[in-house]
Amino acid sequence: MFTEKRKSFLIFFIPSMIVLAATVLYPLIYALIMSFTDSSLKRKGLGNFIGLDNYTRIFHDTHFLGSVWTTVVFTVLVVTLEFAFGFIVALMLNRIRFGKKIFFTIIIVPMLITPVAVGLIWRLLLHPDLGIVNYMLSLIGIEGNAWLGDAKLAMFSVVMIDIWHQVPFMILLLLAGLVSMPSEPYEAAKIDGAGRLQTFWMVTVPLMKETIIVAILFRAITAIKTYDLIFVLTKGGPGTTTEVISYHIYKQAYTFLDTGYASAMSYLLLLVIFVLSIVFMKVSRSQPQA
Amino acid sequence: MNASLSDKLLNRLTYVFLIGVSLIFLLPILWILRTSFTTKAVAYQIPPKWFVTPTLDNYRAIFSNNPFGKYFLNSMVISLVSTLIAVFLGAMAAYWIARSSKGGNFLRIAVLVTQMLPPIVMVIPIFLMVKSLGMLDKWETLIITYLSFNLPYMIWLLIGFFETIPKDLDEACEMDGCTKMRAFTKVVLPLAAPGIMAAGILSFLLAWNEFLFALVLTGTGSRTLPVAIANMETQQGVMIAELCASTVIIILPVVILSLFIQKYLVNGMTTGSIK
Repeated sequence: MFTEKRKSFLIFFIPSMIVLAATVLYPLIYALIMSFTDSSLKRKGLGNFIGLDNYTRIFHDTHFLGSVWTTVVFTVLVVTLEFAFGFIVALMLNRIRFGKKIFFTIIIVPMLITPVAVGLIWRLLLHPDLGIVNYMLSLIGIEGNAWLGDAKLAMFSVVMIDIWHQVPFMILLLLAGLVSMPSEPYEAAKIDGAGRLQTFWMVTVPLMKETIIVAILFRAITAIKTYDLIFVLTKGGPGTTTEVISYHIYKQAYTFLDTGYASAMSYLLLLVIFVLSIVFMKVSRSQPQA
Repeated sequence: MNASLSDKLLNRLTYVFLIGVSLIFLLPILWILRTSFTTKAVAYQIPPKWFVTPTLDNYRAIFSNNPFGKYFLNSMVISLVSTLIAVFLGAMAAYWIARSSKGGNFLRIAVLVTQMLPPIVMVIPIFLMVKSLGMLDKWETLIITYLSFNLPYMIWLLIGFFETIPKDLDEACEMDGCTKMRAFTKVVLPLAAPGIMAAGILSFLLAWNEFLFALVLTGTGSRTLPVAIANMETQQGVMIAELCASTVIIILPVVILSLFIQKYLVNGMTTGSIK
């Protein structure tokens, strides 16, 4: 006979764990095994065990290293710009009294839209001949560009579009931090006669430190994983100027059919994300709960 | 005197700035909305015609010429069913974790780790598994696959909600002799209902917006909306007006549903990392 406790464990907890074992754990192990084989979509089965060959190959693969660099550039740019811009907007939203809710509602909308739709919206707006953006620029005398088709501009355009899409998320996080701040330090600063900028650097920033770190880390983790937006906007192009890691791995698996090698690359990505996640969890758990 | 004057000025500037920002976020969406109600010819016009008589032709066209209606149904069924399963299983698991003293912390971290996984790592093995089972291009396949991110997300969110419900309430019920299941369904669930509703909507949105798994695992039979609109463009050249209508259709449920759960959004979107 089962005890009451064991029975509730079986009913409440086990079904979810079975589902997660099948949908998360099993694929992860499968990918790990595959990363040590020359598995390919061209033939059946797992292929031959080739040890660490895939992993050593990665470090000589200039295409892969190129995509790593592209991802680093993309991530650093979007996280920094989104943070800076997001913080300014969050501070302003925190300042005002009237219309806060309306601004807030408008500002979070882009974040909710699926990346595929965001990509399509901007492809239409930025279309070299039929898009509204080039037309508006022509009205003020600026010559239009092939924003996504020009190798020099593609990364810039993708970063701008990602900012449009994701900055609301940054605003949301930072605003939540600002709202939950105690008012005493501000009153103290006022009594001491501190100016606005001084109060910001000496009071707001130190108090927001953990929120800031959590927001930046969380956003960095999601930025490194970016895939959908690139797929719709540029397919990694022109050339490989916007080919981020996730898209590179996808191409390796589904264009070159090299699943073993693709798995090895994906595990490297996993490792990076994993390290960042551990830092993220350490920081967000040490954060005093408001 | 001087200070209050600069305060006023700063207030004005803040509003000007915020209105500017709102326009940057809003105008692209409004432009797409406008174009979705124009005729094909007008949609192509540059310089654009600012005042147009709205027409529903594009919406009619995508639902009749394309199998768009089918894709819409696919998206609806897959997102809805996988969310319902996630709510059902996730609520029970979350309750168990929220009320268990030992091992709770480890499980919490394990659940959070699954949220961090890059989908590209999962999609290759899942594709191979599904292919060898002969299950490509089926509703069930996507429903089950979506549980890989929906279920942990649900568990993570609901642990938080259940913890806000005092332990004494369901313990009192158990003292009175009801089973854990009865305490759960009669005492805890009714109290957690708003939270569960919000978590359900968030996880529905996650599934509704998902692209990579759907791209790899579906053909024409069970294709979902994100894959369908991404393909629409490559297949038919730029059909601006119809593309805009499709984009509006995919965005609309998301925006409407999110307005209901605004106050849960912050916690939900950050997997509860900031309270």
